[in-house]
Amino acid sequence: MAKEMKMTKVEDKSAGTRVKKGVLTVIINLLLWFFSLTCIFPLIWMLYSSLKEKRVFNADIMGLPTEPTLVNYVKILSNKDYRLMQSVANSARTTILSVLLIVLIAFIVGYILARINFMFNKPLYIMFLMGMLIPIHSLMVPIYIIFSKMGLSNHWYTLLLPYVSFALPMSIFLVQGYVKGIPTELEEAAAIDGSTFSKTMFGIILPVCKPILVTVAIINVFSCWNEFSFALILIKERALYTVPLGLKQFTGQFTSDYPKIMAAMLITMAPIVIFYFVFSKQIIKGMVAGAVKG
Amino acid sequence: MLKSIKPKKWVVAAYLAVPVVLYVFTVFAPLVAALFYSFFEWKGGPVKTFSGLANYTQLIHDEVFWSAFWHNIFLVVVCIIGQIGLAFIVVLLINSKVTKLQGIHRTFGFFPSTISAVCIGFIWQMIYDSKRGLLNYFLEKIGREDLQKVWLNEPSLVMLLVSIPLVWQFIGYYMVILLSAVSSISTEVLESAEIDGATGIQRARYIVLPLIKNTLLVCITLCVAGNMKAFDNIYVMTSGGPGYSSMVMAMYGYKVSFEQSNLGYGSCISVGIFVLALAVIGGSQVLMNYFMTDSYDRNEKKHLKQIEKERKQAIKNRQAKA
Amino acid sequence: MKKKLVSILLATAMVATLAGCGGGEPAATETPAAEEPAAEAPAAEEPAAEEPAAEAPEAEAPAADGELAYSGNISIMHFSTSEESEGNGGSDGFRTCLAQWMDSHANITLDEEVLANDDYKTQIATRAAADDLPDVFLLQGMNTINWSKQGLLYDMTDSIKSSPYAADYNMDYLIPFTADGKYYAYPALTGGTCTVVIYDEAMWKEAGFDSFPTTWADVEKAAEYFGGQGIDTIAFGNSGQWQLNSCFVSCLGYQYTGTQWFSDIIAGTGNFEAPEFVAALTETQRLFHDTSIFNKDFNAISNEDAREYYISGDAAAFIGGNWDASYIQASLEGDPKFDTTKFAVLPQAADATKYEKFQNIGLGYGMAISAKVAQDPDKLAACIDLCQYLTGTAFSEYVGANYALAGFCGSDVDLSKFDTYTQDFYNFSYVDNKGCEIYDSYVDGSVWSVLNTEMQEMVNGDKDPATVAADTQAAYKAYLGQ
Repeated sequence: MAKEMKMTKVEDKSAGTRVKKGVLTVIINLLLWFFSLTCIFPLIWMLYSSLKEKRVFNADIMGLPTEPTLVNYVKILSNKDYRLMQSVANSARTTILSVLLIVLIAFIVGYILARINFMFNKPLYIMFLMGMLIPIHSLMVPIYIIFSKMGLSNHWYTLLLPYVSFALPMSIFLVQGYVKGIPTELEEAAAIDGSTFSKTMFGIILPVCKPILVTVAIINVFSCWNEFSFALILIKERALYTVPLGLKQFTGQFTSDYPKIMAAMLITMAPIVIFYFVFSKQIIKGMVAGAVKG
Repeated sequence: MLKSIKPKKWVVAAYLAVPVVLYVFTVFAPLVAALFYSFFEWKGGPVKTFSGLANYTQLIHDEVFWSAFWHNIFLVVVCIIGQIGLAFIVVLLINSKVTKLQGIHRTFGFFPSTISAVCIGFIWQMIYDSKRGLLNYFLEKIGREDLQKVWLNEPSLVMLLVSIPLVWQFIGYYMVILLSAVSSISTEVLESAEIDGATGIQRARYIVLPLIKNTLLVCITLCVAGNMKAFDNIYVMTSGGPGYSSMVMAMYGYKVSFEQSNLGYGSCISVGIFVLALAVIGGSQVLMNYFMTDSYDRNEKKHLKQIEKERKQAIKNRQAKA
Repeated sequence: MKKKLVSILLATAMVATLAGCGGGEPAATETPAAEEPAAEAPAAEEPAAEEPAAEAPEAEAPAADGELAYSGNISIMHFSTSEESEGNGGSDGFRTCLAQWMDSHANITLDEEVLANDDYKTQIATRAAADDLPDVFLLQGMNTINWSKQGLLYDMTDSIKSSPYAADYNMDYLIPFTADGKYYAYPALTGGTCTVVIYDEAMWKEAGFDSFPTTWADVEKAAEYFGGQGIDTIAFGNSGQWQLNSCFVSCLGYQYTGTQWFSDIIAGTGNFEAPEFVAALTETQRLFHDTSIFNKDFNAISNEDAREYYISGDAAAFIGGNWDASYIQASLEGDPKFDTTKFAVLPQAADATKYEKFQNIGLGYGMAISAKVAQDPDKLAACIDLCQYLTGTAFSEYVGANYALAGFCGSDVDLSKFDTYTQDFYNFSYVDNKGCEIYDSYVDGSVWSVLNTEMQEMVNGDKDPATVAADTQAAYKAYLGQ
């Protein structure tokens, strides 16, 4: 608030600049609205298209439905092979646990790599960097072999391993980069006060890192929720299916019921998207709050 | 690096042990396994025959693989400019104080990153569709039917067309990362610049950019890494077609492994992707270090060196005098 | 009158099925290679007295009266998702019979893993590579030779010959699942054509043709008419790259090569660079690239999208497989178009010397058993029983009665219960035309992957047919050289 007032005080005086400023305001806002609408439009399109019947959709893929129908949703949800609640529970459990672990581990490792000078610092950093370069789609067979030989596939915790591990490189980087931007005075002061390493890390640095940790969490929530390849090869039992895996039951070899596919996609996305929109204010606030003076 | 805190070695080791073991097991073990398998002829069964470097010789002469590599490089370039560049602009626009409803733009902007690649590919297929698609519909509306095309069947355009969804999907992703970085810049710094009369572009160039340099480097690294192993969108949209026109390395590795059940060679391709990605990342780091340490920084460094030199010289002089 | 017609049809059908589904069966009579395994099979009986083979008949004795010694779990993997089974007779029959078998064997638990087809292929390849196949699974024809060589598959030769349904089996369907004269799977699901021209008789009448033209030259003439109307003459979708092979070249090729050429390919002595095959590719390129017969976006859309062009009337005809025929049937029911939709074989190409009314037909997947199961004779007996049940008379009667389709077992189909659409399609598939092989049920994925990818460029006009043939031949050589 104070900032706004200050800004208005220094606002330019001449009328010419004011007009210029006005034009600029309009342009900036229009650009942003254009951007935002292109981002959100597909969701809207999928929403109303999923209310069409297949033939209506194929005749006109853009138009609004004249006779909206829930038939696609009914078909999917009434399918006895499809256990929606179970797959949602599986996905929710996997996602929540994965994200908690990712945030915790990425914070610890990222902080240590950014601040502690030890022999393995650089090698570890490079090792984590290399993890981002691994093409998982052409490595599915080795992954499957290793997991099944170790007896690790097809358990409730199976997917946590790849989800956490493959998310670590990116998350560690973000944390490490962020911590590097934090002035060291905080920790030095704590050290003088006699704070232990762990205490400093969790008590002082963790709160400061909140924005980046929220960002890391947000990015990974969605990638874990949507992940398909690992789930496909590592999970056999239907009781352990995640949402994307469960929904594949609706793709036949030779079917092309687009509105139904959209309905299925929307059902997959629904919990996470609702979560996102409901909490977006808090999430965004978390991401940008706690600014560190740099 | 922090000098004042020196935790005991075992504390650091204890903190790192679990993550490193977990990570090495899940991420590196398959890669090492692939490295091992890449020396075998393995057609998808229990039988593997050692074949030495045969797969690697084939890889070096495989035109499809190398054209796929260049497609990946194309993706990297387009996506660095498109994803990070646009994300940076969007962040600046959102943070501009004349912007209304910043929250909505942040929320909506990130939305494409929340949906799965399958979904994205599907949506864009609908946009490019030649009969019913949005793009041709739009061209018709503006009376440019002559420009209408079967978009995804144009070998010369298809790489660009498949990279647009990638850009679109990830703007929000980098936007979020950059937003949190920009938010760490003290508003006072920006305000003081405002008072000094810095225009928006100058502010972006000379204040924001240097301050989020670290994050930007991370973003570029992420972007390069992500695009060197790009797979999902292309798999959904074209499967590498028409022919090999939009084939990328990971897609090719997948095809060789599963469609041709040539797992030995597929493993070799995976190793190839990894090594090339490493090389490209290494190269990009060097380039970035050069470019991102902008002239100001470089001058600054020179200046500091100069001062240091002078100081040493002065000390020497003094010693000499003494 | 109608009744009479139906009874004639019925009689034909019965004769056809009794004669081992004679009529339009895959290359039965004219492919020496096709007869080979069947002829060899009885001879192989005595020397093939290997361990598992010796156990099999023993274990099967109780199986005949439905009592199996085994109790425990059997893992099975397939792709008949509930979505798939809607309107797809084969999948529906498969699911139904699987459920029946489960109900009648209370002491056996089936661990079912059902995946959509494309995921199934990825997953089963992964499992094969890890030597971790499920007990019972669906084997794709083109994997037979490779996987049997690697010892992944249980040899079913004896169990097939001593099967309670052996008399009803159509042995030709076994060819894709044969390696070294041994059978490795029970052909599963339903046998259907892979290349059928589906057209709207009414639209073609307007263009001046009473039925679908028999030569491509006439189709080109019709294309001028339809082009003037803003309609595509034939809709085709090849975005998946396999469609042009399975649903076009694999049929058109026969007009040029006759049946011997592909028999040689199967036998490992063939040549993709043979002038007659290159000529078939050249004609394919001409039809897709130089004429305006097909929809412009054939390379960018899937066959599912292409058939929507037909359904909506944007195209006067469509080329696809049996699955498309049943989908179009389900979609058009109640529409006037339903009554005017007819079937035809691919028209004759001008320079094709070996033209016949070819349509390629076969069973792409077979029920196979992992070689590891043989360690437990009781379990093996149960698995064999399951395979036999899922491909036996219970299955063929179900799909015969409900969909007028046939599987590995022949069955009497009472065509009179069905509408003309189904009757026409039945006759198209099993009675009227000459069956030929579906290329990619044989040989190996590594060969087809090259051919399919390069053909996609070829029909864009960006690659020359001779080059495509040469590259395919190189892949074929590499495969044979293993």
